[in-house]
Amino acid sequence: MFKKLIEESTGKSPWLFHINAVFCNGCDIELVSVLTPRYDAERLGFQLAGSPRHADIVVVTGPITRQSLNRVLRTIEQVPEPRCIVTMGSCPQSGNVFRGSYAIAGPLSKYVHVDVDVAGCTPKPEAVIDGLALAAKILREKRRAMN
Amino acid sequence: MTMFLNALLFLGYILIYPGFLFCFVVGMLLSGIDRKLVARMQKRVGPPICQPFYDFFKLLGKETIIPAAANRTVYLLAPLLGLAALVTIQVLIPVFRFTAFSGVADVIVILYLLLIPALATIMGAAASGSPYAGVGLSREMVTILACELPLLMVLLAVAKSVGNAMGTGLCFSLSEIAAYQSAHGSLLLRPSMIPAALAFLLVIPGETGSHPFDAAEAETEICEGMLAEYSGKPLGVYKLSHAIKLLTMTSLFVALFLGGLGTGVTALDALIHVALCAAVTVVTVSFVHAITARLRIEQIFKFYWTVVAGLALISLVLAWFGL
Amino acid sequence: MSMVSFQHFPIYAILVLFLGAFVVTAFGRKGTVRHVVAMLCASISLLLLLALIKPVMIQGETIAYWLGNRVPAGGYAIGIALEVDALNLFFGLLVTVALFVSTVYSLSYMTHDEHQAEYYTLLMLLGGGVLGMVLSGDIFNMYVMVEILTFSAVALTAFRSKVYGALEAAFKYLVVGSIGSTCILAGVIMLYAQAHTLNFAQLSALIPGNMTPATKVAFALLLVGFATKSFIVPFHPLAADAHGAAPASISVLISGVLTKSGLYGIIRIVYMLFGTMQLGAIQLLLVFVGSVSMFVCVTMALAQHDFKRLLAFHSISQIGYVLTAVGLATGLGLSAGLYHAMNHTLFKGLLFLAAGAVLHETGTTDLDKLGGLSKRMPHTTALFLIGAFSISGIPPFNGFASKWMIYQATYQKAVESGNIGYVLVTVVALVTSTLTLASFVKVTQSVFFGQLPKELENVREVPVGMRIAMGIFAVLCVLTGVFPNLVTAYLTEPAARAALNALGYIDSMMGAGYAESVMVTPPAPVAVSFAASGVWAPVNWLLLLCVALLGITVVASLGKYESVSERSGERVAAKYQLFYGGEANWDAQVGGGDLFWGFKHNWRHYFDFMHALHSGIVNDYAQWALVALALAVVVLQIVL
Repeated sequence: MFKKLIEESTGKSPWLFHINAVFCNGCDIELVSVLTPRYDAERLGFQLAGSPRHADIVVVTGPITRQSLNRVLRTIEQVPEPRCIVTMGSCPQSGNVFRGSYAIAGPLSKYVHVDVDVAGCTPKPEAVIDGLALAAKILREKRRAMN
Repeated sequence: MTMFLNALLFLGYILIYPGFLFCFVVGMLLSGIDRKLVARMQKRVGPPICQPFYDFFKLLGKETIIPAAANRTVYLLAPLLGLAALVTIQVLIPVFRFTAFSGVADVIVILYLLLIPALATIMGAAASGSPYAGVGLSREMVTILACELPLLMVLLAVAKSVGNAMGTGLCFSLSEIAAYQSAHGSLLLRPSMIPAALAFLLVIPGETGSHPFDAAEAETEICEGMLAEYSGKPLGVYKLSHAIKLLTMTSLFVALFLGGLGTGVTALDALIHVALCAAVTVVTVSFVHAITARLRIEQIFKFYWTVVAGLALISLVLAWFGL
Repeated sequence: MSMVSFQHFPIYAILVLFLGAFVVTAFGRKGTVRHVVAMLCASISLLLLLALIKPVMIQGETIAYWLGNRVPAGGYAIGIALEVDALNLFFGLLVTVALFVSTVYSLSYMTHDEHQAEYYTLLMLLGGGVLGMVLSGDIFNMYVMVEILTFSAVALTAFRSKVYGALEAAFKYLVVGSIGSTCILAGVIMLYAQAHTLNFAQLSALIPGNMTPATKVAFALLLVGFATKSFIVPFHPLAADAHGAAPASISVLISGVLTKSGLYGIIRIVYMLFGTMQLGAIQLLLVFVGSVSMFVCVTMALAQHDFKRLLAFHSISQIGYVLTAVGLATGLGLSAGLYHAMNHTLFKGLLFLAAGAVLHETGTTDLDKLGGLSKRMPHTTALFLIGAFSISGIPPFNGFASKWMIYQATYQKAVESGNIGYVLVTVVALVTSTLTLASFVKVTQSVFFGQLPKELENVREVPVGMRIAMGIFAVLCVLTGVFPNLVTAYLTEPAARAALNALGYIDSMMGAGYAESVMVTPPAPVAVSFAASGVWAPVNWLLLLCVALLGITVVASLGKYESVSERSGERVAAKYQLFYGGEANWDAQVGGGDLFWGFKHNWRHYFDFMHALHSGIVNDYAQWALVALALAVVVLQIVL
């Protein structure tokens, strides 16, 4: 019963940690707008956490540059299991308009397993919520697999 | 046989009502009501009322990472001790005429016992080794300092006021204060105690570290401050302690100022008590949360030592002159 | 055992220490000899006084011992007397316990120092001096013992003369300490000129009721003299320097024992010799000085950057508590004050020893250079935490029990006397207590927790001997906190009764009926009430806590969870590094000086003022002493 409870809860209380690899700030604003009164992702239990130690879902925005690569990976590493990694916007997925630059280290999925990609530049809040809900579902599956 | 029954009763008091289980359920509910109401005040739908339960159980299922820089023993023991201390405070606070354990501690002791959960958090934070936690504990300690002065003056005013009425001069015992109120009506009805009650209401958000007095846990500037390195089960215990502290502080308010509203039936009283606690939470925590922005730490300190302490002082002086 | 043998215990307890000092000087070149002699002397002296608990504390006897059996004749006490009632014995016990633990600690702590024979000689002299002072029944002998203890303390302060500031600290101590000793001597002379006797009991019979302006000056001189010895405001800057420079084992004695001798002197002269304690003005004076001491010194402590200086200021802050409680002149207040005096010896001793342990292993006590020692010195950390919780008044440790009694006593006093000023004292006492907690949080964070600096990677735990010494204090801290009823019933209440029982004291020394025959108005027996209005039952609370903790643990272990992950191997994986916004390990320790900005900012004008005031120049401090003396003379002339 306890395991079931924990599993249920894991899907209902995903806390987000937002990593901004390099910013144009577009996706970051959109991520915050998801929590505003109009879209209110908190009704699904989403909450922004201040520290990666508290997080369940890591949201990465912005292109992964050589400067930020190690820092992003280290922070992701510091999130306790089970965790989900969500890339938001096209930048961490493909490099977007920055693709081909000497400073870009490539898509995030090259370095770490990414669970959900939310594409767009920037993605609509509805798409972000959809992606996060999917991540919450994956999170629950991961928790079940741990039992 | 009676000894066995007594021991069972003792265990029941601590573990079920008004101890651990009661604290767990009601504390989490209060916290949920708070979150829901704040959301509604901001025209959001808000999380379900049992969201804190989900958060808690989720955290139980997460991995617990102990940083290499941390002191393992203190890091793991601090949250448990803080929670246990909070539960002991809760069983000492009377629910109208019912007190689970009287004759253990008076209001001054309660004031000090309230330090233990905060201190446990501080010690755990220090033991985690994080610089964010270092900044957080510094702010938490200043918040404690800020709240301690008005809280003490409120308690002294109440002790004097009840003592005057009882003819003993002063009365520090919580159960006697509760008994007095159930006989002579709530202290809140006494004009001289209204400033003290207001001061206490303002102390509640400070003691529980909620908006706008949450500089110690500012998640956007210092990464949740003291809890920055905590994850998994210890974090869950901290969240639980936070919720129970809400219950403890509001219960203390109800016991000190609204003690005359009981009916004498224990089960009914418990319900009234919970309802009153919820009402106090809404007034002091949710409203204030929804309409204010976070204060800087030195503003918090100044606010408590001038405005709130001033209110408490008015009551203390009035009580002194027998009003 | 018959009563006669008990008669000799006090003098043996003093003599054995002085003899030990000689033996160590003569034969102490060899390490084992001086260690054995020092341990023997300290333990014999402790055991002798412990044996007196039963007759004096419980059966309520008073031991009057006349050296060479020169008992008073013709109504005059010419011989040198030792007098042991519950109050003297109480302070004597504090002295011997602290001396014993300090000696145990010194055995391993001082191993790297030169001139160890001299060290133990001075240590024994210091112990003997304080013990002699508190057991003496003769005011001139009190003065002699004060001189012995002052000079051995000065020498011990400068003992590590190569440490920066040690000689300067000793010099300051010498100057202001001498002013204090001179005051005591002058006071003694003036009393002798008036009453033609030096015996304490006889003076206590002759002086009250015959107060002349000269007597009042003598009173002021003695009060200021003993205040210098207990370092209360305005003599506090000395203590900081002395504690900072002296070896930790000596700081234990300076803060735990030397200050107590000053307090003992104050209690004796105001309660007994001048019989003035029932005067509201004298009560207010002591309470005022005590409250100012506790508040000023705790704020000074909060601003310190050095572990031992911080402890030194706390020491005086706690003495302020004791003085405040004693100044209330109620049974509860006196009992609470003595209780706190005892606790202060225990927890402050523990804290100084912990500071010494840190110094011993790391070579520094600078709060901004230390950090993360709990991983290297786990036992020291645990013991330190017990001391820190005790001094900050966290239940159920001993500091809480006595502070709680002090709050009760001050508030009761406020209600009884109708003076709202005493409420302010309660508030100041509680705020001071919280500030104490704050500054110990600062020490904990900046010394024992946080990050370990690179230079301290090789630090190890201190030797077992030092841990045992700290352990003794820690166990006593817990025991006296958990069983406050036993402490008050068997230690502090008899002592408080003895302090209030001037008549009994005089008669037991001078023969029954002496007081009535001499005194104009024999002091009426004071009705003593030790009842507190509040309730605090630590054992019950601990039981609750244990059951709650057990319950939570059982519930927590019902579900099956993942095991806790920890780092493995030498290289720390990214996962177990601290979170610094994604950076690899930075050296980002939050040091002691960085904490509590919110508080310090609001009080910045006060701190600036204090900073300017404490110039560190000995001339200034000597001036303060003289101003305090002048004020005391004027005030006492007016109020008495």
